[in-house]
Amino acid sequence: MTARLAAPAALVGAVAVFGLVAFSSGPARADTSSTTTAPTTVSTVPGAQPGTVQQTPTAVTAVPSPSAAAKNAAPSNQGGIIYTDLPASFIAPGQALFAANCASCHGPLANGVVKNGVAIAPNLEGLGAGTVDFWVSTGRMPLENISAQAIRKPPRFNRIQTLEIAAWVQSLAPGQGTKVPLVKTAGADLESGNTLFTLNCAACHTISGAGDALAFGAYAPSLHLATPTQVIEAIRSGPGNMPRFSPGNITDTEARDITAYVTGVLQHPNNAGGAGLGGIGPVGEGFVGLLIGVGVLMLVCFWIGDRQ
Amino acid sequence: MIDKSLNWVDDRLGIAKGGRTFLDKIFPDHWSFMLGEIALYSFVILLGTGVFLTLYFVPSGHEIVYHGSYVPLRGQRVSEAYASTVGLSFDVRSGLLMRQAHHWAADIFLGAIAVHMARVFFTGAFRKPREFNWIVGTLMLILGIVNGFLGYSLPDDLVSGTGIRIAYSITESIPLVGTYLSFFLFGGNYPGSGIIIPRFYVLHVLIVPAIIVGLLAAHLGLLVKQKHTQFPGKGKTEHNVVGSPMFPTFIAKTTGFLFMASAVTFGLGGFAQINPIWQFGQYEPYQISYAVQPDWYMGWLDGALRIMPSWEWVGWGHTIPLEVFLPAVVFPGLVFNILIVWPFIESIYTKDTNYHNLLDRPRDRPKRTAAGASMLTLLFAVFFASSTDVMANFFQLPLLDVLWFFRFFVPLAPIVAYFLTYKICNEMRAAEGIGKRKRALVVSRSAEGEYSTVKSEPRPGDAHEELEAIPVPTYIDTTHPDLATAAGVRRVIR
Repeated sequence: MTARLAAPAALVGAVAVFGLVAFSSGPARADTSSTTTAPTTVSTVPGAQPGTVQQTPTAVTAVPSPSAAAKNAAPSNQGGIIYTDLPASFIAPGQALFAANCASCHGPLANGVVKNGVAIAPNLEGLGAGTVDFWVSTGRMPLENISAQAIRKPPRFNRIQTLEIAAWVQSLAPGQGTKVPLVKTAGADLESGNTLFTLNCAACHTISGAGDALAFGAYAPSLHLATPTQVIEAIRSGPGNMPRFSPGNITDTEARDITAYVTGVLQHPNNAGGAGLGGIGPVGEGFVGLLIGVGVLMLVCFWIGDRQ
Repeated sequence: MIDKSLNWVDDRLGIAKGGRTFLDKIFPDHWSFMLGEIALYSFVILLGTGVFLTLYFVPSGHEIVYHGSYVPLRGQRVSEAYASTVGLSFDVRSGLLMRQAHHWAADIFLGAIAVHMARVFFTGAFRKPREFNWIVGTLMLILGIVNGFLGYSLPDDLVSGTGIRIAYSITESIPLVGTYLSFFLFGGNYPGSGIIIPRFYVLHVLIVPAIIVGLLAAHLGLLVKQKHTQFPGKGKTEHNVVGSPMFPTFIAKTTGFLFMASAVTFGLGGFAQINPIWQFGQYEPYQISYAVQPDWYMGWLDGALRIMPSWEWVGWGHTIPLEVFLPAVVFPGLVFNILIVWPFIESIYTKDTNYHNLLDRPRDRPKRTAAGASMLTLLFAVFFASSTDVMANFFQLPLLDVLWFFRFFVPLAPIVAYFLTYKICNEMRAAEGIGKRKRALVVSRSAEGEYSTVKSEPRPGDAHEELEAIPVPTYIDTTHPDLATAAGVRRVIR
């Protein structure tokens, strides 16, 4: 019985991990002008060398492959999001990476450090791999300045190392927190994403996703670099000042629609009217209207008029 | 044949006499006299593009399901106003160009009015006999701002809807009549009974433009009647106008300028995106986006609202929200009233009741120039205060620090600007040889190797090229220490 399930289970795990690496390491692109988008799909082709990731520019292939079957069989696939369990083999290297890079603040057991009654760094026990993945893959951790809001910067770790750290933190409290999501934005409902984004996100992140300053020195970051995985992780874990949205507030299907809207429409806005001017609305437009519009016409006056 | 038909027309309408006056009207050549034309021509563009937009825009708050070509909106329930504006942008040939050119033209129109007004103010062109024209111009500025706001609100998108919400609250904040007024305008509690878009539409395309056209006719009519002002100079007196006649010189120049203005407006309309409402979505009263600003000409009102501390007065069962009433009703009311009555304030202060056709140099009227600079600084300071959030985000500063900076900057900067401008004007007036033709400096080297600089001999005609000093009312600073000590100062008092 156990032996019979071992091979498919290993396949599920392998596909999920490779999918994670391929999907969540770069910004996804979705065409804003059409719902029938054709993002890159990752599938392990039968006959290919083990571990080969092949990117095909077409949508899901019609030919049933072992990987497609494996995906359908994945237990946690809801509404286009697959929450993956990271392999146990990631835990040991993850602990080593944590000890070398994170333990100086969070402590070797990741249970936080308190100095003179002040928490220097929070306890990470109970966090899911998805939360850790968000903070590390956006470069916010390791922190640059402990007194200011963490800023997005180039990540210090590669995709595998990030997931290894995440796997180790997850192993401290198995089953708790947010798992690392695998998102496929193709086929998501952009209209629903648009509505939900306006309702839930635009009040801080602005309607164009450019981000803006909030009170007391905090700010809502720009969403223009977020990957689909990071968007889901942020919705589910609520990093920093952001509220956490549970599946009761925003279902997996809705979260995927929002993700498709963020990575597809906001990151590639339909600037049909010409230069986007930063997507910050009338402030940029006023500068252009006055400096270029009125300014150029004043130069024309100066040109055709008498200067004495 | 042409002669005959023209005679036929003239026999019946008698246009030859007026036409001759018009064709012979003299326009001064100085470039600063063309600033008003920027406003004139952007208004012409506004009318043209605006007529195009009315052919496709549906002024209705009625909700329909969007089925146009912008995918993320397909299937959403939106108002007809919003749907038709998105449709205008994507599904009407050249519709987006027209919409954007219309919006840019509005920004340029009000910018040009501001620049033109500054020229008129700083050169004293508003003085007797032109006080009426100054008032007419100021009224056009106010109506232009109002109409800009109305037009900005028409697409019913998320950003402009927020502006309408603010307008409702501002109306409501007026003591005693505020509630009644806002109910009257909106037909009930916010967001009203769906009548605000059609009402704004009637105001935007018919009533306000009609008043502006009437005022514009009065503005230009007075200009012809009272003739142009001019800068003092060779051959220019209070009793003549030196420049080019309407026909053939000026008509060619100004027609070319119309094309230039169109080119810039449509160039921006084609290449720079303005107000991409399809990205904002339909306005719903329970939704909001951050980083929402009005168009630039409303920015000073928004900024005043932002920096105002939250004060309110409660008594006798009534609340007066001073935090809204003072910055959004009293402040603009004061600014516009000061602008309107300025010519009279100045003539009372200077006891100057003469006719003035020759203009001042700004430095020769340091107090007026300083007052103008002070007002401009105030308006620019509150204008910048309307982007506190964008600045805080851009410069990575805490939002409240930026807010508090403006709470001090807005009242203090105009005071500093006043004294700085006053000082600069006086120092410029005291500089040697100011207003005179520049003479070459000759550097010579003596036998010992010492260098010295001497002024070249006056060239023939230099004496006549000197600017005629303008009669200065005696009150103006002739006793200023800078002037008393400096050499070469013009102190001609007649």
